[in-house]
Amino acid sequence: MLKVVISHSEDPDSQSAIEEILDQCTRDLEGMVPQAGILFAAIDFDHTLIVEEINRKFPGLDLIGCTTDGEISSMLGFQQDSVTLMLLYSDTVEIRIGVGYGVHDNPLLAAQQAVAQATENYKINAKLCITVPASYTADGTTTNGELILKGLKAGLGSNIPIIGGTAGDQYRFKKTYQFFRNQVLTDSLPILIFSGDILFSFGSGCGWQPIGGKSLVTKAEGTILYEINGESAMEYYHRYLGYRSPTAENPLAVYEGDSDRYYMRVPNICNLETGSINFLGNVPEQAMVRITDISRDEVIAASEMSLKIALANYPGTKVETALVFSCCCRRWLLGTRTKEEYQLVRNALPTEVTICGFYTYGEFAPLEPLGETYYHQETFVTLLLGTK
Amino acid sequence: MEPINYESRIKQLEKYIRILKKKLERSEADRQRLENASELRESVLKNVIKELEESQISLEKHGEELENALTNLKSLQIKLIESEKMSALGVLVAGIAHEINNPVSFIYGNLHHAHHYFQDLLKLVELYQHYYPHPVKQIQHKIKTIEFDFIKQDSDKLFESMNIGAERICEIVKSLRTFSRLDEAEFKAVDIHQGIDSTLLILNNRLKTTQKNPQGIKIIRKYGDFPLIKCYSGQLNQAFLNIISNAIDALEETIIKETKISKLFIPTIYIYTNIFDKNWLEIRIVDNGLGMNNQVRSQLFNPFFTTKEIGKGIGLGLSICYQTIVELHGGKLDCYSEPGKGTEFVIQIPLRQSEVN
Repeated sequence: MLKVVISHSEDPDSQSAIEEILDQCTRDLEGMVPQAGILFAAIDFDHTLIVEEINRKFPGLDLIGCTTDGEISSMLGFQQDSVTLMLLYSDTVEIRIGVGYGVHDNPLLAAQQAVAQATENYKINAKLCITVPASYTADGTTTNGELILKGLKAGLGSNIPIIGGTAGDQYRFKKTYQFFRNQVLTDSLPILIFSGDILFSFGSGCGWQPIGGKSLVTKAEGTILYEINGESAMEYYHRYLGYRSPTAENPLAVYEGDSDRYYMRVPNICNLETGSINFLGNVPEQAMVRITDISRDEVIAASEMSLKIALANYPGTKVETALVFSCCCRRWLLGTRTKEEYQLVRNALPTEVTICGFYTYGEFAPLEPLGETYYHQETFVTLLLGTK
Repeated sequence: MEPINYESRIKQLEKYIRILKKKLERSEADRQRLENASELRESVLKNVIKELEESQISLEKHGEELENALTNLKSLQIKLIESEKMSALGVLVAGIAHEINNPVSFIYGNLHHAHHYFQDLLKLVELYQHYYPHPVKQIQHKIKTIEFDFIKQDSDKLFESMNIGAERICEIVKSLRTFSRLDEAEFKAVDIHQGIDSTLLILNNRLKTTQKNPQGIKIIRKYGDFPLIKCYSGQLNQAFLNIISNAIDALEETIIKETKISKLFIPTIYIYTNIFDKNWLEIRIVDNGLGMNNQVRSQLFNPFFTTKEIGKGIGLGLSICYQTIVELHGGKLDCYSEPGKGTEFVIQIPLRQSEVN
């Protein structure tokens, strides 16, 4: 059995918001003591107050969470400047949490720490990992999602699906926070591991479409793209964006060989002196690339596809709860249609299924049911959980 | 009536105000972000359209290049076919000329001896007549029957005409060899006038008087004085042949169409050659035929353009002339004509030119 309770408050006042949330949770738990919790909160809240209040109410609760770029729950749907809490209880599912520190400087070590803590003194057969690591750290630099993933895979094994998203800070790109038990952290990597009787499935979708002509990557090294068609990466982008620097909204479609299959690479930091761009992922030399564009219909359709894939692959008969992780760029570009992403998940699931999620700065999910996990941008990831 | 819980109501209202205030702030920030995103997307789309336009222009250019390449290929094909034809014709002409040349040499070479033997025999017969003035009746009868006195008178004329005929054949054979130029290198210094003359000789049959054209076609040559010219003589002769043939066609057409003036009309082709600006050879071939209108004239050098009846011409003659003169020799080929005022073709070839390839 898996019992999931969701509460959500849009009250900007931290004290009032957490009081409202805890009241709702206590009511819905009907006397049960939750094992673990996942907290998603907007950046402007007093996070310390919130986690301490939660800890006071549920002492020793295994809580993880992070700040976001938007919150989603089956209670209030899509919200901004809100806080949402998911509490989990099960007598057949083991839920363990761990945290790693200093992700920016040493993501592999942080991942190792987190996995070690979650599995400390306990021999578990991990089935699924949920993670909400830091993206922007104190000095405004970012962590490396791919290295975080590499570290987690090293600790857990590459066959264990890792699902989640990196923390957000409402488009400020300065500092994100993570929650672990009663602590508010930055530059950290909280994880939650399920083992035991858990059933789950997942799906992901993107919706960005390549547009314009194909160009050749003439100089690149790892994640740094120097030249496209012999001109600097910045000049290439300026051709499309005018004199604006590229942001996460303008990923490149990178083509595999001569095929029509492509994957996305998101620009992160621009070097105006050299004209190079550091991407959130490797861009291979001699690859063909195209600029991308979106239509809101395609973005929504991709979210629906993500949900359909997850539903089709669910191994049981009764989904208990759904976790969704959607890229912040989707929200920026969907505008008033952002709520449709939540709504289509809501409409496709029975009313008793709880939903919780947030808008991230990067998503983790495998591309196929038995495949390895990848670090994505611009995607919508659906995770369905249950025991039946 | 239930008492109103003012404290709770106030708290609720305060919460709503907080939420609305926050939402308003967010709404403004989101609006700005959406505007930025919209501007960005607009820029991407505009520039992609620009890129597509550039790509379209480049494609159009590419298409034009391909079209040009196709035109060049077509013209090369025409040239190749014509060259093959000319080469085959050249071989044939040279072969015929060679085959005729040998037996004609026997005839022409022995004609003098034959004449000499015949004269000797006649002198022998005369000696017999002198010393035996009264032969037997049978001989007298034979002398009368064969008209011996007429034979004596006519034999010289006979041999003279046979000699002229044989010489004429030799001349024709020589012209055929000159025309085919198979025995000469492709690019070499030649006597242009000899080329024109040999062409005229080949066309001689078409210049003669006929029932329809009792006056024949008059050729007036006004040749300038200049040295040998370096050129592709075989192909140049072919160009002369095409232009002069067209002039003859035009004159024949004039004779057929202009019946009322045919008695006064003398179909004439003028051929002028001269050097101008020291570096250019000019050959003008002029006829006093019907002429042509601008529409025909503007298409004259296009491949497959013809005004002739089906089966009489495929419209390649002047197109090949154009290629030979303009492309092969780096010269100019112009046509001046007006309806009723004849036609003038002006060929201009630079004197200093280098061999192609």
